Amino acid sequence: MTPDTTRRYNIAGGIITIITVIAALIWAFPIYWGIVSSFKLEDEVVRPYIELWPENPTLRHYWFALTQTQIGSWYLNSVVTALGVTVLTVSTSLLAGYALSQLRFPGRRPLWWLILASFMVPTQVLIINHFVLIANMGLLNTWAGIILPQLIHPVVIIVYKQFFDQVPREFREAAVMDNASEFRILTKVYIPMNWGVTTALSIVTFIWAWNAFLWPFLAVTRTEMMTITVGITQVSDAFGVYYARQLASAVLAGFPVALAYLLFQRRVTQAITLSAGIKG
Amino acid sequence: MAEIALENVSKSFGAVEVIKDISLQVGQGEFVVFLGPSGSGKSTLLRMIAGLETIDRGKLLIGGKECQNLVPGKRNVAMVFQNYALYPHMTVRDNMAFGLRNVGMKEADIAARVEDAGRILEMDALLDRRPSQLSGGQRQRVAIGRAIVKEPAAFLFDEPLSNLDAALRVRTRVELAQLHQRIAATMIYVTHDQTEAMTLADRIVILNDCRIEQIGTPMEVYTYPASRFVAGFVGNPGMNFLDADVSTSGKEASATLGDGSRVAMTISIPDDGAYELGIRPEAVHVTTGEGDTKGEATVVEHLGDRTLVYTRLGDGTSVIALDDGRSQVAPGDVVTLRFDTSQLHLFDSAGRAYHAD
Repeated sequence: MTPDTTRRYNIAGGIITIITVIAALIWAFPIYWGIVSSFKLEDEVVRPYIELWPENPTLRHYWFALTQTQIGSWYLNSVVTALGVTVLTVSTSLLAGYALSQLRFPGRRPLWWLILASFMVPTQVLIINHFVLIANMGLLNTWAGIILPQLIHPVVIIVYKQFFDQVPREFREAAVMDNASEFRILTKVYIPMNWGVTTALSIVTFIWAWNAFLWPFLAVTRTEMMTITVGITQVSDAFGVYYARQLASAVLAGFPVALAYLLFQRRVTQAITLSAGIKG
Repeated sequence: MAEIALENVSKSFGAVEVIKDISLQVGQGEFVVFLGPSGSGKSTLLRMIAGLETIDRGKLLIGGKECQNLVPGKRNVAMVFQNYALYPHMTVRDNMAFGLRNVGMKEADIAARVEDAGRILEMDALLDRRPSQLSGGQRQRVAIGRAIVKEPAAFLFDEPLSNLDAALRVRTRVELAQLHQRIAATMIYVTHDQTEAMTLADRIVILNDCRIEQIGTPMEVYTYPASRFVAGFVGNPGMNFLDADVSTSGKEASATLGDGSRVAMTISIPDDGAYELGIRPEAVHVTTGEGDTKGEATVVEHLGDRTLVYTRLGDGTSVIALDDGRSQVAPGDVVTLRFDTSQLHLFDSAGRAYHAD
């Protein structure tokens, strides 16, 4: 590379970096604005001009959300349902992915096509069916009612199948020669060899389930059974919307996910990359 | 340890027949090598014995018991794979114990067997390491150890040295030979490397085009190849082949080569006519005295103890000859070649071999 082309690359790189930083600031500003506003007094929030920092910082909205709402129950409901969705989705997808990748059985191919085809059906299309079904089963306002319709994540099955396909055939054959049952091959060879993808998919499924709004909003009408994403819509009273109070609740709702993201940043990015090409 | 017998076994993948009616006996404690080029069916045959490929027709007997319909784990054979197939998340100890745990053996017995195998393979100190912490040669030994702990009726090796570098391959080959002497196990070994086959085997099974071309001891297949294919495949550098017109008078034959020179030999052939004359480089000597033909040296390879002289005869045929380590031949020299007529072979148009007496 000549000094000229190197300089050109440096300039282009610099411009791209500046654009990226600007885009990141634009993207991050609403989050910053939301967090800062949650520490403002209500009248400061509705002022017709921009104040980047609270004039009189206060924790009163957080205090309100924590003491005057059912946020404890909402957290519990979110934790239980998100964990339930994660554990059940990952474990069933893992079994399905393994079967599709490693076992030969009649109907394997049509089953695979069916799973691929399920991408073409948006969840929203099914939501009335889900509602009727769950209502008939008497599961509205229950954890099971929130969890069950959220267990359909074909992308997790597809990612697992892809990973299991990539395990060299000799590992399976060595286990077969060693008299291992299918269950032992799965649990002792394939799962441990793919811990990374299991961790990544678990985290990302947990985040999806935690952030889910539409279905939990429909499946629950009793305030104490709401998940946190639905519950924070209830932080208003007869006198109207309190923005700072709602933003404080939203910050509390997003906190666990943000924490999970910060702790497992690399894995989350990996999982999103894995599923990005597929999810469409 | 047990004998293994294949009786008229065949195998097809769709319409393609990959193993054609093969019968073979492997004696108890014998080291048999399947040797052949890529696509000859040697690995498929091994995998059929292992149970990793089904046998479409014929019988497989291991220790006298029919096994062709048993799942791999029930055949009491152990396999060592080309890329070792060591589970990366398990220690060496757990890798070796895996198969024993699958059959519900007691942990104390497993520990004893693993320790024994560790001692046999001199890797006691490595038992708590993971495969990623081992060198290629050590991984190979662990793979063998995983087979040893099962105390199988037979060991099956699928090109186990091909991932090692040249020096390590030689060392591991010697270790394998020593291991076979020590545990006297029945072993079937697949390779396309004839040096491995020649040095390790009690008997070599040479496969070509999904059939057995020849079964014999290393010296038998080298000295008396059953066909043109075997003659060309075994030996490095390969056998020289020259077109010859052969006429006989009783057992005395005279072969006229393409450059017009004549070579006399004692050999029994059914008909006079066109044959290919085969002779190994070590039976073609560069001489200053009388010879059978002359050729121009094109390349001279000094290998220390001997020198290979690549020559071109008058009709353009290439012949590799052997000279001393201190050979004075240089490229461009015209050299006289003398054939050791007791080591001549003739091959007819169907590839059948006839050997000089």
